[in-house]
Amino acid sequence: MTTHTTTAAAQAAPCAGARWQGNSVSDIRRRMVDRVATALCWAATALVLLMLFSILFVLVRNGVGGLRWVTFVHVTQPPGQGGGLANAIVGSLIQTGLAVLIGAPVGLLVGIYLAEFTATDGRLINFVRFVSDLLLSAPSILVGLFIYMIVVVPSGHFSGLAGALALSMLVVPVVVRTTEDMLRLVPLAMREAAIALGAPRWRMILFVCLRAAREGVATGILLALARVSGETAPLLFTSLGNMNWSIAPGRPMASLPVTIYQYAGAAYADWTALAWTGALLITAGILMINITVRLGLGRNRK
Amino acid sequence: MTVAQNDAAPAAISVRNLDFYYGAHHALKDISIDFPQGQVTGMIGPSGCGKSTLLRVLNRMYDLYPGQRATGEVIFDGCNIIGPKVNLNVLRSRVGMVFQKPTPFPMSIYDNIAFGVRLHERLDRAAMDARVEDVLRRVALWPEVRDRLRDSAAALSGGQQQRLCIARTIATRPEVVLLDEPTSALDPVSTARIEELLDELKADFTIAIVTHNLQQAARCADQVAFFYMGEVVEVDSADRMFTTPREKRTQDYITGRFG
Repeated sequence: MTTHTTTAAAQAAPCAGARWQGNSVSDIRRRMVDRVATALCWAATALVLLMLFSILFVLVRNGVGGLRWVTFVHVTQPPGQGGGLANAIVGSLIQTGLAVLIGAPVGLLVGIYLAEFTATDGRLINFVRFVSDLLLSAPSILVGLFIYMIVVVPSGHFSGLAGALALSMLVVPVVVRTTEDMLRLVPLAMREAAIALGAPRWRMILFVCLRAAREGVATGILLALARVSGETAPLLFTSLGNMNWSIAPGRPMASLPVTIYQYAGAAYADWTALAWTGALLITAGILMINITVRLGLGRNRK
Repeated sequence: MTVAQNDAAPAAISVRNLDFYYGAHHALKDISIDFPQGQVTGMIGPSGCGKSTLLRVLNRMYDLYPGQRATGEVIFDGCNIIGPKVNLNVLRSRVGMVFQKPTPFPMSIYDNIAFGVRLHERLDRAAMDARVEDVLRRVALWPEVRDRLRDSAAALSGGQQQRLCIARTIATRPEVVLLDEPTSALDPVSTARIEELLDELKADFTIAIVTHNLQQAARCADQVAFFYMGEVVEVDSADRMFTTPREKRTQDYITGRFG
């Protein structure tokens, strides 16, 4: 490209003339590339939005009919006898809640270790990060099998607690990664400023670094919650599912994903309808988590 | 090397034969310099000459980073602070530091100041309120923030943030305040206010300021040290340093011939 030098004449005259046309071969080529790239971006965006909204549309169309009072207060029943999802909804809340209570503190501590203790042995840090990333991409059914082997088999029975443990293993790597990433965004100068005031390291980490990163860290925990609330595979061999009302963590426990998995393929119309409603409930729940995150962040940023 | 003798004030900090290494890099070479009590010492010199490094030795900031080490003596209150068994948190409460970029903590204006105070003192509510007001008045920030002490410090302008950082530093009642290019990220008006502030603060604190701005050194400092390639070339009163420097290299630097 040539550089356009502004001369006195050009300043006085309107921007016309051969040098202002921009019709050289490279100009035309550049404009075409720009248009094609822009069009591709729009097309990709439209495709993603189309998929998202078609999923939402189908979910709402098929699931909204089941959003009745009985769905929330009745437990699952044999086909043809009505019934609801109360046991699955409460079971999901308990198991995901426990999973986050167990997994998030572990993930937080590991994330803090990776981000803040860089002066210690680098090989150990790299190893821990590598293992955490492996866990992040591990097939969730393997996590379920692992908990089956170390919890379900020794204890002799399936349990909601085993399900929560399996889910917590998926919570940990998500929280580790977001916590580390968010802490690394805290400027070095801010850490030094805290140290320069005579703050011991733990106070700097807890009251300055984590505080600066709290929105991102909280987002990571909620993302982990959103991720595990839809997980099915880790629960199949651990909490198993339960057709009856049970909130005892030591016993098999129902959950929305497992109920959907069992009902969606069933030949009974009322079960399929409940599966759709369950799917709609999970989706709406995750959407609500995300909206909460946004609203919370918006308020904190003020 | 020439060390000017300052008979008027005893040294708050005496640096003797200090060497500093970043790994294998020998960043400070056999430095000796006094920081007279209640005076402003300006540290000038080209980038990478070691002036900020010296500042970071005085509060042991370098301890945060493995591979950085100092040998020699830095005497503060009768103790060699680069020796072993120094309580670093206490040292840093007595030798405060202000950084180049304002670094307000992600908390309210009030808590920014209370954070440092709480580390070292247990004050009741009224005493803490009084301390916060006192230091904010001293940095001339009180009228601007008195009605929004509970608001986030991030909402302040750059100049206000830097004054808050100075207030935060002096709130722990240090004896020495180190400033590492405190105005290089600020506009001229904010810079002028910080410079006025330094003049008032030196009544109570010994001040060491690193600056790339020679006019600033001339305006603010009582004593000026010129650093070059890890050495202290010359230490003298600001007046003499900028009018009749003894060393050729000092003269070249302050007249802009290199650096």
